Amino acid sequence: MNGFIEVDYAQNWKHSERIAGDVFLLSRDKTEGRIVCTLSDGLGSGVKANVLANLTATMGQKFTTSRMDIVDSARVIMKTLPTCRERKISYSTFTMVDINSSGVAKIVEYDNPPYMLIRNGKVLKIEKTVIPLENRFPGRTEQLYYSEVNLQNEDRLIFFSDGVSQSGMGTAKLPLGWRTPFIEEFVTAEINKDRNISARDLSRKITSRALLNDIQKAKDDITCAVVYPRKPRKLLLVSGPPIDPENDQHLLEKYEAFTGKKIICGGTTAGIIAEGLNTEIETDLRERTADIPPLSRMEGADLVTEGILTLSKTAEMLETKDSWVAMQTNAVRRLICMLMNTDEVHFLVGTKINEAHQDPSIPVELGLRRTIIHRIKTILESKYLKQTFLEYI
Amino acid sequence: MEKISIEICTGTTCYVMGASDLLTLEEHLRPPLSSSVKISGSTCLGICRDKRFKPPFVRVAGKLIAQASVRKVLKAVEAEYSGGSYAYDE
Ligand code: FES
Repeated sequence: MNGFIEVDYAQNWKHSERIAGDVFLLSRDKTEGRIVCTLSDGLGSGVKANVLANLTATMGQKFTTSRMDIVDSARVIMKTLPTCRERKISYSTFTMVDINSSGVAKIVEYDNPPYMLIRNGKVLKIEKTVIPLENRFPGRTEQLYYSEVNLQNEDRLIFFSDGVSQSGMGTAKLPLGWRTPFIEEFVTAEINKDRNISARDLSRKITSRALLNDIQKAKDDITCAVVYPRKPRKLLLVSGPPIDPENDQHLLEKYEAFTGKKIICGGTTAGIIAEGLNTEIETDLRERTADIPPLSRMEGADLVTEGILTLSKTAEMLETKDSWVAMQTNAVRRLICMLMNTDEVHFLVGTKINEAHQDPSIPVELGLRRTIIHRIKTILESKYLKQTFLEYI
Repeated sequence: MEKISIEICTGTTCYVMGASDLLTLEEHLRPPLSSSVKISGSTCLGICRDKRFKPPFVRVAGKLIAQASVRKVLKAVEAEYSGGSYAYDE
């Protein structure tokens, strides 16, 4: 495996709750290229479950990222976690995944539904080692499952809480819930329908189906995480004319040489590129709102938008996860969707200041391109774990 | 008869100075004018950097209207249609 690993998750809370009892945590060690993630399900739902799940997941993340062996981390967690004496069960269950830079994933599972690995559109059977645990409850043996897989590009590693596997339980269609063979069938069908489906979209498809199984009222917290190694998807976002017009040519060359999706934010910038490539820009007046100007089309570009207003709104929407989902289709929404489906975002930013924007008679405050792009870059990195590159020109 | 072109700038400066309202122009056009014009948008026309004129900008039949409003554009279009004159900015 070489390239990029996309990790994302989707979640629906139990319908009566205002907080999730399932917690998913992810950390990426950039220098080492290592990824550690934990999905924990706290007993019950609501705040108490959330605290327990958070405690479990946080410990899992801390221990594992601090190089403790993943099985040892699991043991320590098991020793530390409070248990319910009466029901002889643990207060939380978990799945911990530790992936190194060459794609070897070490996975420890405790009482969560078993994970799935899909390769070439089919479910791969996995050998797991059973690790029995010290007797915490007399008369009940507990065990961890440990497995190691060599991830390959285009694999999907899928794990979820029992809110997924027990969804629909008791209904005529799924009297025993959404059991493994049904989920496998659903997941492989989705992947075979769209071979490039992102971790983001796949995890959402799974949770939405689980919610549908529960007739839109989740009976438990529903959480699903997907790990998707693949060749990185790249995107170039060009915005702003170069400070020195002599560099227009440089901008053009960079733009032309880039392989991946191309977005231009800014009319003047689009003009420079259109002129250099001898092509036309056409503005499409259909999708626009009072605060977001319409987008334009240009051969070879995947998206052409206005600059500052569109970028500012994009930064604002990106601050809150999924806030754009309900937004009507416009330049901002298109831009965000493209960013979400990308692993590497390359910003090429011209720093010439548009004096017209500094005119005091302008009724709204127009931020500086540099500042806005920087904000988007930071959010993409910290919130969406995208890899970003920034070049000023 | 060739249609009268109306080009509305949707660049940043024009947009915040009122171009978003201008985009409702179509709703204000009555026959026979409504079928005699072709409305299009444009990225920054570059005029916002020219201190002589104030945004937003519209070009009717290629001629410039600064500080454009729906009313001004309608007047210009009427003049173009009936062969009258309109005081364009450039
Ligand atoms: S934004 Fe309209 S001319 Fe520049």
